[in-house]
Amino acid sequence: MLDFRPVLLVTGLALTVMALAMGIPAAVDAVHGDPDWLIFLASSGVTLFLGLLLAAANRTGSRKQFTIRQMFLLTVCGWTAASIAGAIPFAFSGLHLSSTDAWFEAVSGVTASGSTVLRGLGHLPPGILLWRALLQWLGGGAFLLMSVLVLPELSIGGMQMFRLESNTALGDRVMGRSFQVAGRMLVVYGVLTVVLTLLLWAAGMSRFPALLHAMSTISCGGFSTEDGSIGAWHKPAIDWVILAGMLISGAPFVIYLHMMQQRWGQVLRNTQLRWYLALFLLSALAIGLWLLLTHGVKPLPSIRHGAFTAASVLTGTGYATLDWGSWSGLPVAVLFFLSFVGGCAGSTAGGLKIFRLQILFTSARVQLTRLLRPHSVVLPTYERKPVPDQVRESVLGFLFVYCLSFAALSMLLGMVGLDFMSAITGAASALGNLGPGLTQAIGPMHGFTHMPDSAKWLLSVAMLYGRLEMFLLLVVFIPDFWKT
Amino acid sequence: MLDIRPVFFINGFLLLILAAAMAMPVFADLAAGQNEWPAFAAAAFCSVFIGLALIFSSRGKGEPVLHTREAFLLTVTSWVLISLLGALPFALGSLKMSIADAVFESVSGVTTTGSTVLHGLDHAPWAILMWRSMLNWLGGVGIIVTSVTLLPVLRIGGMQLFRMESSDKADHVKPRFSQVAWGVLGVYSLLTFLLVGCLLAAGMTPLQAICHAMSSLSTGGFSTSDQSLGAFGDGARWICVIGMILGGGSFTLYVAPWKRGQWGLFRDSQMRWYLLTMISFALLLTFWNWAVRDMGAYEALRSSFFNVVAVLTTTGFHTNDYDTWGGFAEIAFFMMAFVGGCTGSAAGGIKIFRYEVLFAMVRVHARRLLHPHGIFVIRFNDMAVSNLVLRSVLTFVMFYFFAFAGVSVLLSMTGLDDVTSLSAAAAALGNLGPGLGKVIGPGHDYGSIPQAAKWILAGGMMLGRLEVATVLILAFPGFWRE
Repeated sequence: MLDFRPVLLVTGLALTVMALAMGIPAAVDAVHGDPDWLIFLASSGVTLFLGLLLAAANRTGSRKQFTIRQMFLLTVCGWTAASIAGAIPFAFSGLHLSSTDAWFEAVSGVTASGSTVLRGLGHLPPGILLWRALLQWLGGGAFLLMSVLVLPELSIGGMQMFRLESNTALGDRVMGRSFQVAGRMLVVYGVLTVVLTLLLWAAGMSRFPALLHAMSTISCGGFSTEDGSIGAWHKPAIDWVILAGMLISGAPFVIYLHMMQQRWGQVLRNTQLRWYLALFLLSALAIGLWLLLTHGVKPLPSIRHGAFTAASVLTGTGYATLDWGSWSGLPVAVLFFLSFVGGCAGSTAGGLKIFRLQILFTSARVQLTRLLRPHSVVLPTYERKPVPDQVRESVLGFLFVYCLSFAALSMLLGMVGLDFMSAITGAASALGNLGPGLTQAIGPMHGFTHMPDSAKWLLSVAMLYGRLEMFLLLVVFIPDFWKT
Repeated sequence: MLDIRPVFFINGFLLLILAAAMAMPVFADLAAGQNEWPAFAAAAFCSVFIGLALIFSSRGKGEPVLHTREAFLLTVTSWVLISLLGALPFALGSLKMSIADAVFESVSGVTTTGSTVLHGLDHAPWAILMWRSMLNWLGGVGIIVTSVTLLPVLRIGGMQLFRMESSDKADHVKPRFSQVAWGVLGVYSLLTFLLVGCLLAAGMTPLQAICHAMSSLSTGGFSTSDQSLGAFGDGARWICVIGMILGGGSFTLYVAPWKRGQWGLFRDSQMRWYLLTMISFALLLTFWNWAVRDMGAYEALRSSFFNVVAVLTTTGFHTNDYDTWGGFAEIAFFMMAFVGGCTGSAAGGIKIFRYEVLFAMVRVHARRLLHPHGIFVIRFNDMAVSNLVLRSVLTFVMFYFFAFAGVSVLLSMTGLDDVTSLSAAAAALGNLGPGLGKVIGPGHDYGSIPQAAKWILAGGMMLGRLEVATVLILAFPGFWRE
């Protein structure tokens, strides 16, 4: 029989964190004199009560490790509970959002996607704006934790390559070390947020938006405080700072730990980082050239806009300086495929992740060699380590399920009435936690306000599913999971 | 050392067959009393000349032996060579097609894609119409024989599952153009004759019947009318549906012996999934058309079945402009372009058996997540699938998606819009034919797209037809290294 207590304990802790976080917008609104502070305080009270209740009732006392099933279930429950809790303030605030809209906004925040149903962002009370950014920031941090503590242990989509020790058992020692690394990463995450805030402030944003944009950038989220996204500021300096922030948050966070310990060799040898930057440069170049040649943008701005758009889509942030949703032709094709790629493993970005592409390429090379020389023994390698068969299968299985989910989701979106391009780009963008799609209707400067409710539900579930790297959610639904 | 003599020899032999096939359109031309035959005579002369030159230049002592690398080279060169020479009649004939157009049309024919650059087919010379269908037919039988004899030995995309001899690591390629191949050829011709007969009975003229029989069984999709099968009655449409379904099924199974009182065809899981996929998509679209788009029940059933079968078997016929059926239909047709028919058929796409293997793998993978130390076996048709097969299937699918991404980005560089470039890439790689949208959707043709896009698409069709890896391997430095 599955022991649910640890699952409920972690869910309770997640709720408690959400409740404490709600205190911040409550305080800000109170200072600002906005009536929403009461809503935030009340939501915080309810969530805190539920969270503490769950946590206290399910304390086991023993320091026994979680079983595999418990880990699956607690991750799924934790994220779902956090999304529901995040929706409460939206639903009851002065915005009068429907429950669908509130849930959509919260999921889009927690999964760091950045699709929004809100318009007129510039006139919203500060509490709501802060809450949206906080959701993304917390979601980004949680995903970072998950990619160190949970995904490698559960062997999701080849993430077992990132186990800290080759030992497969969930030994105390390994877990201790993982917790240490995860803790350091969170510190880096916090420090980067502060640095980014200061830089944005220096670049000409006022303090409040600077903080919010820093939080949404570092989590690869993409909620802005203006309808026109970053383009509303018309300041190249801000564009460059955000661009750097997006690139930093899409890179593997391990390299920052190496940098702190001055192990520069490790940073330079990180092939995932190299691939990531190469892909970014290539697509930035393509889009920049396209802007230069067909839109008559001047050379320097075209470089800036090209790089910004490429980084925004590659890392799944979803910010925009130009409305890339209204483009057509070459950049749409490039951005569409980029939205599948996503950032690096061990970052806050979504999508397939660069390291999976690397493993795909190295297996492909090995396969071609095998075709010519059937008896040869060739091993695919990643970061100079051989890739075990099981990892290759996990990665390829991940890719297949990703494509399949994409196909199913876009057909469902078509059924609820979206047109071809909106459906396929919307599906790719939700699965990859990018946010906006590549058409006018759901582009980065338009929001999802006018989508049918059914489409909002489909997209929000897809975002959660994508953030949970699909298999975490899928496994819970196979009958084997519940068999004892 | 690469021994290219057998490659030359077999290519030469294939060109002689191509030249012989040019007799058919000449007959059609004489029957119509048009003046198209000089182009065909010239093309046949070229083919015979080059063919004989290749044969005589490679005559050596002993029987030609194919090793792995030569077999790869043979597969690719023969398809390219036949496509190029097949383009001659288009370029030399009265239509005066440009080189890009002629090559596009010919590649599209030989790869059984069926995208056309021609407009006004109803008034086109008979010989040209006949030659297009003939190319479909030859390409169809070519790919069936290749996928039965060569691909399994070359281990492309998990095709080793369908290998006939038991030894798994044979280095020596002996394409067994034997019993099975001859049997397949026989069945293919027989079915063509039957279809011609049925279509004649359904009221088509002899030319139309022959052309449609050839291009439906080969899942090619060249028609004699701009409206494709939309120009014909109910009888012809349903007969073509049957022809396409047969063309997308495994031909090896049609000649399979009776075992334990049962025909192999009915025991094959791939065949079952093939039909099941087809019926589910068709019913889904029937429902969509009937419930959401207010089509009459029979009309919805008829047009959904026809167009779904045409897309899933990668034929590319159409009866309606299914592009206007709304968002869901467009997306469904786009996704179907990636499915394809069975192995050992003339259909393109990723193919049903690979999906079966992938699904089985995902199931096993999900269970392994729960039981990290468990041992699970993936099965296909009650046989255990080895890791090697699994990996080549996975690699194939990956190559396919990368090729799709590459071709669509290249197409978008030529200035095509996004729907056109995405759907054209999918349709070319899957050897399907029509894409989606105002430019290349059903009922439109590829005549208006830029020249560069035509070349890219022709490359895409070739890549898809030869299962991607067969072509890619030639660009792999290891191939040319000793």
